[in-house]
Amino acid sequence: MASVMEIYQLLPKTNCKECGKSTCMAFAVDLLSRKVKVGDCPPLVREDKYKANYEKLSGMFTPVDNVTETGLIVHADKCIGCGNCVVACPVNVAADPMGAGSGKAPTCDRIILKVEDGIVKAMNVQECRRFGENKILCVACIDTCPTKAIEFV
Amino acid sequence: MGFGQFLSAPETKLRIVTYRDVFQDSAKVASIFGEDYEKLSAVIKLDPQDISKLSIKEGDTLILKNSFGKVIVKALNSGYDHSHTGTAYMVNSPWSNALVPEDSGGTGVPDFKDFEVLASSAKGGKVTGIKEII
Amino acid sequence: MENDYYVCTGCALLCDDIGVELEGGKLNKVHTACRKGFAFMKGCTNPMECAVNGERTDIDSAIKEAASILRNAERPLIFGHANSSSGAQKKAIDIARKTNGFIDDTSSFCQGPMVEAIMEGKLKTCTLDDVRHKADVIIYWGADPANSHPRHMSRYSYFPRGKERQRGWEEDRTAITIDVRKSDTAEICGQNGFYQIPVKGDAEFMDAMVSALSGKIPKTSYDLDKKKLLELASILKKAKFGVIFAGLGMVYALDDREPLYKLMDKLNSVSNFHLIPMAGHYNMRGFNENLFEETGYINRVKFSGEEVLHGPEYSVVEALRQKAVDAALVIGADPLSSLPRSVVRYLEEIPLIVIDPCHTLTSVKANVTIPCGLVGVETGGSAVRMDGIEIEVKQIVDTDRLSDEEIMTRISEAL
Ligand code: SF4
Ligand code: SF4
Ligand code: SF4
Repeated sequence: MASVMEIYQLLPKTNCKECGKSTCMAFAVDLLSRKVKVGDCPPLVREDKYKANYEKLSGMFTPVDNVTETGLIVHADKCIGCGNCVVACPVNVAADPMGAGSGKAPTCDRIILKVEDGIVKAMNVQECRRFGENKILCVACIDTCPTKAIEFV
Repeated sequence: MGFGQFLSAPETKLRIVTYRDVFQDSAKVASIFGEDYEKLSAVIKLDPQDISKLSIKEGDTLILKNSFGKVIVKALNSGYDHSHTGTAYMVNSPWSNALVPEDSGGTGVPDFKDFEVLASSAKGGKVTGIKEII
Repeated sequence: MENDYYVCTGCALLCDDIGVELEGGKLNKVHTACRKGFAFMKGCTNPMECAVNGERTDIDSAIKEAASILRNAERPLIFGHANSSSGAQKKAIDIARKTNGFIDDTSSFCQGPMVEAIMEGKLKTCTLDDVRHKADVIIYWGADPANSHPRHMSRYSYFPRGKERQRGWEEDRTAITIDVRKSDTAEICGQNGFYQIPVKGDAEFMDAMVSALSGKIPKTSYDLDKKKLLELASILKKAKFGVIFAGLGMVYALDDREPLYKLMDKLNSVSNFHLIPMAGHYNMRGFNENLFEETGYINRVKFSGEEVLHGPEYSVVEALRQKAVDAALVIGADPLSSLPRSVVRYLEEIPLIVIDPCHTLTSVKANVTIPCGLVGVETGGSAVRMDGIEIEVKQIVDTDRLSDEEIMTRISEAL
């Protein structure tokens, strides 16, 4: 994913406040965490001279309708269903050591990630280590993905 | 079309290395005659420097030819962080196979993964369709 | 539960833990198969019809016509086999024998040399289950399983915990990619685990590794990070159970196997290394083993009465280039898609029979097309995984199409 700076560079950088934020930088930060959409910046949509940047940004932020409570997003178009994340996820390993946690078909339904119709599906996301009281910055599913199909926002 | 149009397109020699891609493979089992398969197959991935050397833009079409065949494919930026000028990547497909040298030196194994082509801008020419290859 | 699992024939991993949900006799949901496997099981959108010279016909007439083409030919080519069941492969060998034909499969221009070396005992090998339970150093050489065998790393080679690898991949395993480009697999191995070599630089790299393993300064004609290579040597030396997955990148880059033999010898004198060829199609290895059993050769065979001839001149590529064959039966492969255009053009000049579930580039040019069921979904059979383990493949849904084995049996009988 792009950095805040890269996103900022593509915005009008006029701090016009039309989006309701105080600066373009603030908008960039919210965009990165997907609190706002690219189209929420009126001049970007309206003015021809920003057209190229608008398209670039839209390409970077393809709409996702399956953001989970923990912010876990699976980019289904990128996922190859390899199951790397499934076997790497510590929650999967704890819940189903001989099945999903061993790279095989899941044998219980308390796991977070599994592959269905060739693409990974997230469930029980409240169990994710990034969530809840003792949350940690787990990156097991991100690091093992060959196509960067999993993202947290 | 003036004569000059043919003169001005710079030609570049490229070494082609082929590879596999799971999305393209999946499209193939759905239908080798399908649009998706063509879209994912008829492409060549170039170093940005080669793209400018050919005076084309990413997404333009390129004519690739050698004494074994000729195809038109879409040029893409490889996106690799190392420079690889003079070498370009093509996914293994009927498009790449149209250019693979037939002479296997008697070994029975053609050079699928390493061969040379001459590339030049197709000046907007359409990508070769699968039916034209066979 | 156990019995409800099916086998995916999408690649030579033959994953045998696939769950399915059916609706109205059709696949509705597929569990645990990867993107490629799911696409494979769902089947194609362009099934092949039963036809003779472009006219639709019934299966009996098509089989009769196929048999008559083969009977009238003096030197037919029976080619393909990588995507067909072992039963069909054995019948194909019968047919080649009966017709004094050439028989060859896709390994002829793919993993053949590696499989041959293994069957002849020249390379030490192991099973994928060994890898999963024991391997601590895993090398993907000219191989990109993330694209060719998507579940390779998650099921066997890197991520799963195994009997002697309980602590998971971060602590217990080291994965290394040696390749000409930074593939998706290389991305997973990280900067430290990726060794980039020039195109066709494999043999030299093997020599350099042998030097490094012998404590000598490695030399190559190309630029190489010597320090990194020495680090690699020390990782390999410490390996308790090492495995090299040989991909097509390695196979095509080697003019002969000597440098690889030398490297494997060296590795096995300092530690413990195995090699598994990354067979692509689900039953290529099966064909190699079946033909080996019958003839002592894994591919590139011509029958001539009692005699069995073998050599590069009997390879599919040379047979077509030299126009040495006068008819062809293609099953479980699509040579028009996978071979150089200039080589396969000759197929259009001779009577051609294609047996496949789907239309292929080859079937477009065929005189006789006979549709068969999709093995692993519509019909069963057996197949051999990339590591040589035989796997029983079950039928999932009903079909009115014959299995590839039934079709080959009937052609053989009609000869
Ligand atoms: S962040 Fe960790 S716990 Fe959460 S889904 Fe990914 S691997 Fe599992
Ligand atoms: S690791 Fe990535 S590509 Fe593989 S199944 Fe998980 S999300 Fe999909
Ligand atoms: S890795 Fe191969 S055998 Fe396993 S599910 Fe994917 S395509 Fe099928």
